[in-house]
Amino acid sequence: MSDAFVSLQDLTLAYGDTVAVPSLNLDIREGELIALLGPSGCGKTTTMRAIAGLMAVQSGRIEIAGRDVTRVPANKRGIGLVFQSYALFPHLTAFENAAFGLRLNRTAQADLVRRTTEALDTVGLGHLSSRRPAEMSGGQQQRLALARSLVMQPKVLLLDEPLSNLDARLRLEMRTELQRLQRETGITMVFVTHDQSEALALADRVVLMRDGVIEQIGTADALYNTPESAFAADFMGFENIFEIENATLKAASGRLPLGFSTDAPCLGWRPGDVHLGDGPFEARVISVAFAGRHREYVLASQLGPIRVDVDIAAPAHGVDAPVRFALPQATARPLRVS
Amino acid sequence: MTSRWPIWLILGLTLTFLIGPFLIIILAGMSAGNSLAFPPDGLSLKWYAKVFTIESFRASFGLSLFLAVFGTLAALIIGIPAAYALNRYDIPGAETIKTAVAAPIIVPGIIVGLALLRYLVVPLDVTIFMALFVAHTALVLPYAVRVVSSSLQNLRSDMEEAAVLLGCTRLQAFTKVVLPNIKGGVLAAFILGFVTSFNEVPVSLFLSGPGVRTMPIDMLSYMEITYDPSVAALSALLAFLCVAIVFTAEKFLGFSRYV
Amino acid sequence: MFQNRREGLALALPAAIFTLLVFLLPVSIFLSEAFRFDGGWSLQGYVQFFSEPLNQSVFLRTLKLGALVAGSSAVIGYAAAFCIVNLDGRARGQIFGLVVLPLMISPVARTYAWIVILGRTGIVNDTIVGLGLSETPIRLLFTETAVFLGLLQLFLPLMIISLVSAMENLPRDVIPAARVLGASWLQVFTRIILPLTREGLVMGGTLVFTGSLTAYITPAILGGSKVLMLETLLYQKVNVSNDFVSASVIAMILIVMSFSANLLLKRIATARR
Repeated sequence: MSDAFVSLQDLTLAYGDTVAVPSLNLDIREGELIALLGPSGCGKTTTMRAIAGLMAVQSGRIEIAGRDVTRVPANKRGIGLVFQSYALFPHLTAFENAAFGLRLNRTAQADLVRRTTEALDTVGLGHLSSRRPAEMSGGQQQRLALARSLVMQPKVLLLDEPLSNLDARLRLEMRTELQRLQRETGITMVFVTHDQSEALALADRVVLMRDGVIEQIGTADALYNTPESAFAADFMGFENIFEIENATLKAASGRLPLGFSTDAPCLGWRPGDVHLGDGPFEARVISVAFAGRHREYVLASQLGPIRVDVDIAAPAHGVDAPVRFALPQATARPLRVS
Repeated sequence: MTSRWPIWLILGLTLTFLIGPFLIIILAGMSAGNSLAFPPDGLSLKWYAKVFTIESFRASFGLSLFLAVFGTLAALIIGIPAAYALNRYDIPGAETIKTAVAAPIIVPGIIVGLALLRYLVVPLDVTIFMALFVAHTALVLPYAVRVVSSSLQNLRSDMEEAAVLLGCTRLQAFTKVVLPNIKGGVLAAFILGFVTSFNEVPVSLFLSGPGVRTMPIDMLSYMEITYDPSVAALSALLAFLCVAIVFTAEKFLGFSRYV
Repeated sequence: MFQNRREGLALALPAAIFTLLVFLLPVSIFLSEAFRFDGGWSLQGYVQFFSEPLNQSVFLRTLKLGALVAGSSAVIGYAAAFCIVNLDGRARGQIFGLVVLPLMISPVARTYAWIVILGRTGIVNDTIVGLGLSETPIRLLFTETAVFLGLLQLFLPLMIISLVSAMENLPRDVIPAARVLGASWLQVFTRIILPLTREGLVMGGTLVFTGSLTAYITPAILGGSKVLMLETLLYQKVNVSNDFVSASVIAMILIVMSFSANLLLKRIATARR
């Protein structure tokens, strides 16, 4: 793995006797923006803390820039971490927060002031340098936490749920900001999130995790359009997923003919890919909701609840209306069972 | 609720019961006469002045002050690390340590004093002064641990992790990040400990010897012999001292947040 | 949470060892004295202690006064706490401050005041004699009433503080909601306030009860040798009769009682959460 900048090899992490991450392997290239995505408890935060050195490694190794850092303490790893809570020092001003690391390694005063001011300017906080964290808005605190890490020119910048504490507007702004920073500094970034849209929008590659195991790694496009497992598909919005056996659909009420043959053990359809109007399956409308360009139906069928999005131009069906639908072969996504 | 007067009546009666006796003490100490009475026989400050001239009061005040200041400091010196360990580390037997350190609050002070006299002072030839010092330290320790713990609980531990990632050693993270942020709690613990130790009687009851008596014990024995208003005056002065300390602390650092 | 256990233990140990040496060890040895008899182990000390009528009556009086003080402070405490939480911001803070204030004052000073009030030439007797209700001053000091009043005054603030914080945590608007649903004030108290502030009541009650059991100054000054309580009895046993076995028995009684009260408190505080 010559091009791996951060390399996790057979990494096993545990809390006491509870193994959180069993034998994880992951290579991250220099300058890459990686998202660790997954539901809570999937091991993404644990993995991030291990990279930072805040979590003891049970077995395996961590390499950063070709150096084995598995046993290097957190304060010697040269890694930046932006905490979900920001973890700013409430007794220090914005400037002193940002200069904290430089003061520790005895950077000369002139250099310290220049670098700290630069970092604060980069995140747009130059004018607030004498404020305390408590006197700043959530967005500003986030930027300060970012600046405090950037000042140290870390080899890797880790971000824990960087957008989760911000409102919708700030979230969009911060997303743009992070992408700009990454472009300008070329820093390798790893961020942890449970929000798939955030991961897809921001990351070069997304690492989808489940129960401490990597479920799938790929670009946003690959993950969104070609999820490999039922779990990944479910996470990416394939809301209708069925197990397949001998060209029949396994459903709660028994088996139903699929209508075509497939080798896949599992098939998934997005709500927009289900065909409503005619088809082999009967259903009844449970609810219908207006969603701008389309209507979102929930149907009760022999297959269980089915979610269908239908273009707004199509005629509407009311609640309780009997309908028919088809699960087309063309839009079916073959999946691993998981 | 239509009328407010029942509220003020109840509160007025309660406060009269709680504060009234204290006001009476202040006035009784201002008597111009020679015996303790209320209303006082004429007003003067002679008893307030006399308090300062009584030699044993000066000595016992000095001892109580010393115990309150240095006993509390000693309690903080061992109590802060303990509070930190109990809050930030997953240590074996944490519950046992917590209970043990808190036990002096539950066990009546008179027993502690007596036990120390019998098994520390008498057989080991420890001085009464030393015994008083460790007894007051033990007495204040639970408060120190509790108050410092509660301010540590309010301080998120990821702040220390952030400091470590920026290059701090664990000790530096404590001195540069934790300590500045819990200093209000530490000061509150000091004041609470000071007042507790200064006013403490039962622990010191058996721990007194020739020339070694804490202030409250000295007052008790003075009262048994003399029935003049000087103890009233002294009580009032000491009360003012304690209230002033706590009031200042509340004013400048919001003492009550920590206790 | 840091994972280095040895480091954590090293930080906690000085305090633990200190408490062990100057507190747990001496107190335990002292408590064991009551079980030593003629070089062996026995309950003789306890049997002898409880067979003496004086000891029995002191024991019962201590329990009675403790319960009375706790009960009375609960009644006054609810009234006062309810009034305090119904005040608005500034006034509430000031009144609350006045309630807390006595806790900063030495118990010696606070108890001493009652001598001035209840003594032969005190305010109460002056009034009684002045009004002609009695020819001579009546004895008020060295009575159970005096001790009761002294203890109540000493510990009432603890009850009020506990109840105020319990009432501040009442969900918003439950009382008006109950009123709108037709509850009388008595029903509001018994069905809403009492169940919801139970923890505060138990906490305050425990503090007041154990405080009264283990108070020394108040029974010493206001009760003297006429109205002995367990603490003053213990002092007498040691200083007058040199009877360390009885002292050890009393110590055990006091510790068992305050420990079980605290245990009960912890139970109730952790239950239903």
